[in-house]
Amino acid sequence: MIDCDYLRPDNLEEALGLLKEHGPRATLIAGGTDVMAKIRNTKKTPEVLVSIRGLKDLKYIDKRSGYHIGALTTHRMLEQSELVKAELSALHDGASRVGSVQVRNVATLGGNICNAAPSADTAGPLLVLDALVFMEGPEGIRSVPITEFFTGTYKTVLKKDEVLTEIKIPGEMEHFGSAYWKHSRRKAMNLPILGIAVSLKLEGEIISDVRIALTVAAPTPVRANKAEDFLKGKALSDEALNEAGKIAASTECCSLRDSLRGEAWYRGEIIEVYVPRMARLAAERIAQRRSK
Amino acid sequence: MPDHLFVGKSVPRTIEADKVTGKAVYIDDLKRPGMLYGKILYSNHAHARIKSIDISKAKQLEGVRTVLTGQDIPDVRVGFLKDQTVLKKDVVRQYRDEVAAVAAISPEIAEEAISLIKVEYEKLPAVFDPFEAMKQESPLVHEIDARGRPLKSNILPLPWKFETGDMEQAREDSVYTSKDTVSTTWVNQCCMGTSGCIAEFDQNSNLTLYDQTNVIFGHIGRITEYFSQIGLRGKKIRVVNPVVGGSFGTKLDTDIYEFIAIQLALKTKKPVRILFDREEEFQALPPRQPAVFTIEQGCDKEGKLIFRHCEAILDNGAYTSWGATTPSVMMMPMSSLYRVPNVYFKATCVYTNNIYAQAMRGYGNPQATFAVETSMDTLAEEAGIDPAEFRLINRNRPGDQTPMKLKITSCGLEECIKAVKEKLNWDEKQGKQNGRGVGMASLIHVAGGARVTKSDGHGIMIKLDEYGHVDVIESGTDQGQGSPTVISQIVAEALGVRPEDVFLTFGDTALALWDAGTHASRHTFMAGNAAIGACAKAKRQILEMAVEQMPKIIKMGLKRKKRKDPEFVEPDLDFGLIANPEDLDIRDRMIFPKKEPDHPYFNLPLAQILQNGLLVGTGQSKVVMAEEFYDPPTEMLNWEMKGNLSMTYAFGASGVEVEVDEQTGEVKILNLIAAHDVGKAMNPTLLLGQIYGAAYTGVGYGLTEEIKVRNGRVMNPSFRDYQMLTAMDVVPIEVVIIEPIDEAGPYGAKGVGEPGLVPTAPAIANAVYDAVGVRITDLPITPEKILTALKEKK
Amino acid sequence: MKKVSVSFTLNGNTVTAEVPVTWTLLKTLREYFELTGAKEGCGVGECGACTVILDGEAVNSCLCPIPEVEGKSVTTIEGLANEDGTLHPLQEAFLKNNGVQCGFCTSGMLMSSKALLDQNPDPTEDDIRTSIAGNFCRCTGYVQIVESIEMAAKESK
Ligand SMILES: Cc1cc2nc3c(=O)[nH]c(=O)nc-3n(C[C@H](O)[C@H](O)[C@H](O)COP(=O)(O)OP(=O)(O)OC[C@H]3O[C@@H](n4cnc5c(N)ncnc54)[C@H](O)[C@@H]3O)c2cc1C
Ligand code: FES
Ligand code: FES
Repeated sequence: MIDCDYLRPDNLEEALGLLKEHGPRATLIAGGTDVMAKIRNTKKTPEVLVSIRGLKDLKYIDKRSGYHIGALTTHRMLEQSELVKAELSALHDGASRVGSVQVRNVATLGGNICNAAPSADTAGPLLVLDALVFMEGPEGIRSVPITEFFTGTYKTVLKKDEVLTEIKIPGEMEHFGSAYWKHSRRKAMNLPILGIAVSLKLEGEIISDVRIALTVAAPTPVRANKAEDFLKGKALSDEALNEAGKIAASTECCSLRDSLRGEAWYRGEIIEVYVPRMARLAAERIAQRRSK
Repeated sequence: MPDHLFVGKSVPRTIEADKVTGKAVYIDDLKRPGMLYGKILYSNHAHARIKSIDISKAKQLEGVRTVLTGQDIPDVRVGFLKDQTVLKKDVVRQYRDEVAAVAAISPEIAEEAISLIKVEYEKLPAVFDPFEAMKQESPLVHEIDARGRPLKSNILPLPWKFETGDMEQAREDSVYTSKDTVSTTWVNQCCMGTSGCIAEFDQNSNLTLYDQTNVIFGHIGRITEYFSQIGLRGKKIRVVNPVVGGSFGTKLDTDIYEFIAIQLALKTKKPVRILFDREEEFQALPPRQPAVFTIEQGCDKEGKLIFRHCEAILDNGAYTSWGATTPSVMMMPMSSLYRVPNVYFKATCVYTNNIYAQAMRGYGNPQATFAVETSMDTLAEEAGIDPAEFRLINRNRPGDQTPMKLKITSCGLEECIKAVKEKLNWDEKQGKQNGRGVGMASLIHVAGGARVTKSDGHGIMIKLDEYGHVDVIESGTDQGQGSPTVISQIVAEALGVRPEDVFLTFGDTALALWDAGTHASRHTFMAGNAAIGACAKAKRQILEMAVEQMPKIIKMGLKRKKRKDPEFVEPDLDFGLIANPEDLDIRDRMIFPKKEPDHPYFNLPLAQILQNGLLVGTGQSKVVMAEEFYDPPTEMLNWEMKGNLSMTYAFGASGVEVEVDEQTGEVKILNLIAAHDVGKAMNPTLLLGQIYGAAYTGVGYGLTEEIKVRNGRVMNPSFRDYQMLTAMDVVPIEVVIIEPIDEAGPYGAKGVGEPGLVPTAPAIANAVYDAVGVRITDLPITPEKILTALKEKK
Repeated sequence: MKKVSVSFTLNGNTVTAEVPVTWTLLKTLREYFELTGAKEGCGVGECGACTVILDGEAVNSCLCPIPEVEGKSVTTIEGLANEDGTLHPLQEAFLKNNGVQCGFCTSGMLMSSKALLDQNPDPTEDDIRTSIAGNFCRCTGYVQIVESIEMAAKESK
């Protein structure tokens, strides 16, 4: 049945109050791109929709001691931010490949993460940028590292009465270069067959620190820790990168499956190829930034 | 060559300004007083017996006006082979079979009512592979045929077979031979406007159907037949087209939802609209027919083709629509693309429990051309001849008669192939296999009508009002191809008015003369010729009127002048110059003597003549109105599948340059050349639009698009999952227009609606082979397939 | 069914709609205001036929819950031409350069390109293609649409 209450609180406090009041009957809606499509596809509405679109305070991209991004920041804002493009390049890559301009104009970063699709285009980037997820609920504010945020397909640690308020990326990420590759059959309006994000820090030619994340490679977006461990301290060479790609594609790092969008073996191939390519791109971006 | 004012010019589409202002009324936008909304319940089994249907809850829902099942309507068979009923009563044979239908006062209520219907099924063994389905032990999709006789096999009684020459001898004579198996899959037409119609009965049970069909009269034929079996014999049916949001083959047959809308309207005595949502459009609309071909060819030492032998298996799905007739068009490239004396082609259509298929832009030709052009490349390689050269050796030529008895009149194939070669820098790039490659493919298609029914006629009526406005009543359908503009150009040219004076009415059977349908790339050719004929008649009437009226008007004018200015000296005019209709002409709204076009007194506005002709006084009034029914002297295919079914044929060649990522299998198109023999470009800008659109759809066919059907079910029924190309998937396309003016065409034009799509996919496949040495013979050419082939090669 | 009353600016006029709370902006435009220029090609944000401009940005009206439009400004294809009836340069360009064929995608295409030109009067081909990537068109292959937008951008200068 299609019917519901549609509540539009003016501030976070009110929103939290409404969530508490309506308990499990309530669903949060931000940009609504996931929520509205789901309503249409299932022909069912939640009993109460609590819209946080009006919470203008949660729409920001700031650099203070680190990078602070409000949950309601749209993908379009991320795409158009020079700061994000230059310093959080992987996130820029991911956000600017979400859906279409029309979708990016309303869809939010918070929504992308909270929806927790295995294919979420900002999940990989946030994983390699060491993001911290801030949530506010009746008990106050808490935060978890993004690596602990996803608990399953479409599942997160977020409680029903909590609102995700901010994504924080540590300031030291400034010294990393990063890149994200969305592998898909066409260039837009697509969910990825596979997503690969890499961030790394260089000391001379040595990879002093590195993160690799994969999406649609497991029930949740994951870090390829084994591949990272292998690369750390090695020189940036084809040999090392290719080996890291192989490790990332192995069962040590992911659990690839056949699905409608792609077959497991092919996903493995793409990881092998694109881990090195994204690492190279991340390194190039460091060089570019230095030369500026 | 007379110089034209409008034909051959890129006249803008101003006549269609409603489409850029949101005013155009599509079926989605059309409402009738009291209209109800229809919805269909589809089966969710591919093959099952219906044990029970419970509609009680749905019926009780407020706002529901009727709920129908197979029990509630006459058990009448419909479709090309009469192999299905409108609502399925006993057995469902495909995942999307229509089981029940609802009419309600809002789409939401109709939707909810559908969800309240409970159907109990008992699963039956199903078959999804046409090769399995041909086996003796396969489950039968149909137990009986249309006449109730038991069926023993899933093979359709459609003997598509073409044979000419001596195959045995030809094989012996061949120095080089090749053999390939190629296959194509289901693709969706992806009209941006989804399917829909409104059925409305008047008090006397006559039907008006607002419908997007592009075969308005064919629709009437099928519905009339249906009516005769449901107690409505002799009732009048009127089909009216709203603005159509794309067609591409989908509107050729009368679909089941259309019969359902009729039944709902009949039951409720209210207008009923059925409008598909996108998921339905992907799930329940018959897509392009898939096929598997085994093709062999042979040539002599010099590379001249000696034979072509091809067997095709078509997965017909559970029922039969136009998809099963695509072999009739496949036969054309099979027998007639390039000169080949000995040809064997056989196509077998097989019932399965998959979705059934129908027409899509190109109608079987893209599938068959993919087979022929794949084979051309493998044989060229076998013979050690450059693939472009090989095509040139075997090209069709003007004056040829092909084994299918097609009479090639004008033919620009040579120019097209050469243009592709030149633009791609072929000789330098071909044969390197260094990750970059070039490939080409050609095409032949009907371009001057296609006599697939006994009449291939097209009627046009024109009438002029006393202000010089020209109403053209067109019997075709405007589905976006630009006909309103092109026909207005032709009428303006032929009649001597301006395109903005011409007003077109499309797609209304109550107004229009008969037409075989806006399909087979035939509309500009047919309507153009009909328009020229009608304009000639109307012009004759106008000029006869002018002969009567001009002297009177001129003399009156002189008198008036004299009255005003007594000094005025009346000139000595030679009225002999305008004494006969043959002496006069019309151009740019003015009537004048041919001998002295700039005559200072004998130049009168057309509107003035029309006014004077009408308002002359008692018993003398005249109006101008003319009609032309153009039915060309073409032939239907005979029992041997031979005959010249079109007045002329279009040729073309596509060339593609690609870059292949050997690590990921991804293909990037660097350059696409589409060279087409179009007879004459009536409106170059609109012509380009047809070719761009078709070529782009062809790229999707080649690289990305596929309906994924698993156990009979469409698994990707959305734009997100179905990979139609976006504006970001840039393909640089260059079009080359070859204009070998065809005598039969209006101002020399040929049809161009479909050709652009036909050779695109095989050209890409050939380019991929040239780039990395692997040949993908199964569309679409996905990165996965390329990578697999590359691994196998290593 | 619960209803809401929503006031907003629609093509320059202040309007109020009383519609079921679950209606989208698309449904409200088409059913309540009888502005049928915006089309439903999918209803789930995947085709762009329903694109309108909401506070200066192109959005899929099929994904926009009507309560969110309160106090906002909406421009639809019906509000694109000038008040005197003359066409917007984009509309002119689409007619001139064959940017429209069947026309079903056209309203959405025009609104996406209008939003683009308002924000970026001098777009590159890449900008243009990016801004209409969410608008599917089966007829044109996009070539003449991109050219039309380029033409309109030049003309508007
Ligand atoms: C046509 C289309 C194309 C798309 N393409 C892509 C794509 O390419 N890549 C991609 O990753 N995604 C894509 N998406 C999915 C979607 O747009 C993104 O996930 C988007 O970021 C969701 O944001 P939103 O604000 O619209 O979320 P909403 O739909 O408002 O919410 C999504 C979920 O998150 C919850 N939620 C939202 N915000 C908060 C918050 N602050 N705190 C707690 N819970 C919250 C909601 O309750 C809901 O469960 C697409 C969607 C559509 C319709
Ligand atoms: S109808 Fe809104 S995007 Fe398709
Ligand atoms: S013009 Fe027909 S879909 Fe774009």
